[in-house]
Amino acid sequence: MAISKTSAKGLVETKDIDLEFGGAARALQQNLVKEFYREDSDQPVVYLFVGGNPAEIFQALGFRIYMPEITALTTAIRHQSLQYILKAESIGYGLDVCGYVKTDIGLTHLSGGQTDFGNIPKPDLLVCNFSGCSVYYKWWESLAEFYKVPLIMLDVPYQRHDNPQKEDLEYITAQIHDMLAQIEKLFGKTLDMNKLKEVLAYSRKAEEGWARSFKVCENKPSPTDAYFESIFYMFPINALRGTKEAADFYELYNKELDERIKYGIGPVEEETFRYVMEGVPPYPGYRQFWDMFRNWGAVSVAATYPKVGGMFDFEGLLHDPSKPFESIAKYSLYSYCNLSWEHRRETIKNYLHDFDADALVIHGIKSCRSFTAGQGDLRDYTINELGIPALYVESDHQDPRYWAEAQIRNRVDAFFEALKMNKT
Amino acid sequence: MSKEDYFIVGGVDVGSTTAKSVILDSNKKLLGKSLQNVSPRVAEDAETSFVKACKDAGIDRDQVFLVAGTGYGRLKVRFGKLVVTEISCHAKGSQFMFPNTRLTLDIGGQDTKAIRLGEKGEIIDFSMNDKCSAGTGRFLDVCAESLDYSLDDLGPVSLTATRPVNITSTCTVFAETEVSNQLARGRKKEDIVAGLHDSIAQRSLSLMRRVGIEKEITFTGGVSRNQGMVRSLENILNTKINVSPLSQWFGAIGAALYAIEEVKKGGEFVFEQLEVHP
Repeated sequence: MAISKTSAKGLVETKDIDLEFGGAARALQQNLVKEFYREDSDQPVVYLFVGGNPAEIFQALGFRIYMPEITALTTAIRHQSLQYILKAESIGYGLDVCGYVKTDIGLTHLSGGQTDFGNIPKPDLLVCNFSGCSVYYKWWESLAEFYKVPLIMLDVPYQRHDNPQKEDLEYITAQIHDMLAQIEKLFGKTLDMNKLKEVLAYSRKAEEGWARSFKVCENKPSPTDAYFESIFYMFPINALRGTKEAADFYELYNKELDERIKYGIGPVEEETFRYVMEGVPPYPGYRQFWDMFRNWGAVSVAATYPKVGGMFDFEGLLHDPSKPFESIAKYSLYSYCNLSWEHRRETIKNYLHDFDADALVIHGIKSCRSFTAGQGDLRDYTINELGIPALYVESDHQDPRYWAEAQIRNRVDAFFEALKMNKT
Repeated sequence: MSKEDYFIVGGVDVGSTTAKSVILDSNKKLLGKSLQNVSPRVAEDAETSFVKACKDAGIDRDQVFLVAGTGYGRLKVRFGKLVVTEISCHAKGSQFMFPNTRLTLDIGGQDTKAIRLGEKGEIIDFSMNDKCSAGTGRFLDVCAESLDYSLDDLGPVSLTATRPVNITSTCTVFAETEVSNQLARGRKKEDIVAGLHDSIAQRSLSLMRRVGIEKEITFTGGVSRNQGMVRSLENILNTKINVSPLSQWFGAIGAALYAIEEVKKGGEFVFEQLEVHP
C-alpha cells in the first residue's frame, strides 16, 4: 500500500557519521561534465556513438571525441529537449523518429549548437560505429550531408553467439586498419602504438572500477542504485574513456561505495525491495520516476542500460593494452544493443539471481525500437518461466510528450503494492 | 481498537470520470454508498462523495474510523489515511464479491485494466491500456452523444441489434467520425452500438490475454453497468462473466476492505503514523 515516505532526496542523511567521501563522486562527475563542455581546443572533432566505439584510437590520434547521444540526454534531463525535437519535426522528421536524432539535429544543425551547458562543436569527422540500430546510420548520413564532412562507416556484425567469433573479430580489425589509412590521408595523423597502449591501460582501469561499482550491489543494503545513481556516473566511462580522469573517477567512486558499505548506507532509508532494471530511462521525467521507486524503498541492484557503453561485467571484455586491436574489436561486438535477445535475456536472468532481486522492471521507450523490441517477451518470460514478478512501463527517453506521470505512477505503485502484499 | 471491536470504515474511489464512495462496517457489511461525476476540483469531489455515502449510511462522518482513498484522485482524498491503487482495490473488491475470481476486467472512464489473481486473491499480473482512452467509457460517452442517446441507453439499445456492424477503430478522438460514417452508410443505430461494444470487447480481450485468461472472470467499473457490453464480452470469451449491480463500486469496496484489514492488523496507532504522498 502506498503509505509513503516523503523524504526522497537521494542518499539517506547520515548526520552522525563523518563521511570522508560522502558526495565526492557526484561532485567530481558534475565538474567533469562542466569541463567537458567548456573545453576549447584546436584538435579535430570526431563524432562517435556511445555503444561499442573505438574511442581509444581517437584518443591516441589526438581527436576531440564527441557523442551527440550524451548531449541529447543532457538536454532532456534539463527539460530542454522538446524545443529541439519540434524544430527537427518542422523540417520533416516524423513523430516516431528517434528522440536522440531529433534533439541533436534540432540543437546543432538547426540552432547552432548553443546550450546553457556549453557550445557543441561541429564535427570534422563522423565515424559510425553502431550496429544495433539502422536509424543511427541515417543519423550520421544526415550529419555528413549537413556539415559536408567525411563519414566512415564501421560494419559491426550482430552478435549471434555467446562467444566472439574469430571471423567477426578479423572483419572489424580489417575495417579499423582501413579507417586508420583514411584518417592518415584526411588528417595526416598516424597512430602511435605506444600512445594507444597507454590509452587502453586507462580504459581498462576505468572499466574495472566501473564493473566493480556494479558488483558491490550484491551487498545488502546495496550501497548504490545500479540504475538511477549509476546513470549519473556513465559520463566518464562513455565520454572520457581512455583518459586518466575517467580512471581516477571510478577509483574515487569505489572509495565512496566502500565507505557506504562500511556504514551500511544505501540509497533509501530502508531497502525493502531489490529489483533489476532494463531499458533506457525517461530522461524528461527522471527525478519523478526515481522517486516512484524510492517511495517504496525499492533499489535497483542491477541494470542493463548503464552498461550500454560496454558490458564490462562480462568476462574477458575489458580493453587490453597487450591486444590493442583485438580487444577494441571484441568490445565493439558487445555493445548491449548488439547482443542477441537470448543473450540479453540470460544476462537479466543472471542479474535477478546473482543480486537476489525481487522483481524485474522494464522501461520501454517509444522512439527506439532497437532497444525496446523484445521487452514484452522478456516480461512474459520473467513472469511465466522464471516465476519472478515483472513490470513494463513505457514513455520515451527524450520526448516529454510521452511522459504521463500519473499513469506510470499508478502502475509502479500497483506493482510494489502487490509485491508487498504477496511478500507478507 | 481490537480485532473484535465494531468499527466503521470508508472507501473513496476517485476516478477520471466519477467518484464512488462506500461505507462498510467491520463485519464487511455495506452501510451506504454514493456516485457522482468529478469536476476539476477533485479534492472537493472526494469530500462530497464521502459525505454523501455517510448520509446514505445514516451516520455522521466522525463515526468513520478510517478512510482509504483509491483511483487516480487517491492522493486528493486528504481526509483519508490510507492510499491504495485501484488495481489492488478492484482485485480486492472482485475477490470479495466473487471469491472464485481469477481475472478482473475493469473498464472505467479512461482506463481499461486486466488483473490476474491467484487462489488467495493475490495479484499475479496486471495490464492496462497505455496513454490512450480508446475503447474505454469515454469512447462510449462520445459515441452515445453522436447517436443522441444517453450513456445508459446504450446497453438496452444494443440488445435489440440484429446485424452488429464491424467497427475496427475504438479511438475516442475519431469516435464521432466513425459513428457518422456508419450512419451515412445507412446502418441502424442499434447495430452500430452493438458493433461498438464488440470492438471494445475485442480490444479488452487482448489486454486479458496479456495477463492470461482464467475463469472466473469478473467485470467491474462504470462500463460494467452496460448489459450490451456484458453480452459482447461473454460472446467473445465464450463464457459467463460475473457482474453485480455494485460492480462500479468494487474499487471503493476494495479500498474499504483494505481499511478494515489495516485497523485489525495494527490497532488505533497504525494510520496515525502514516504519511500520504505529497
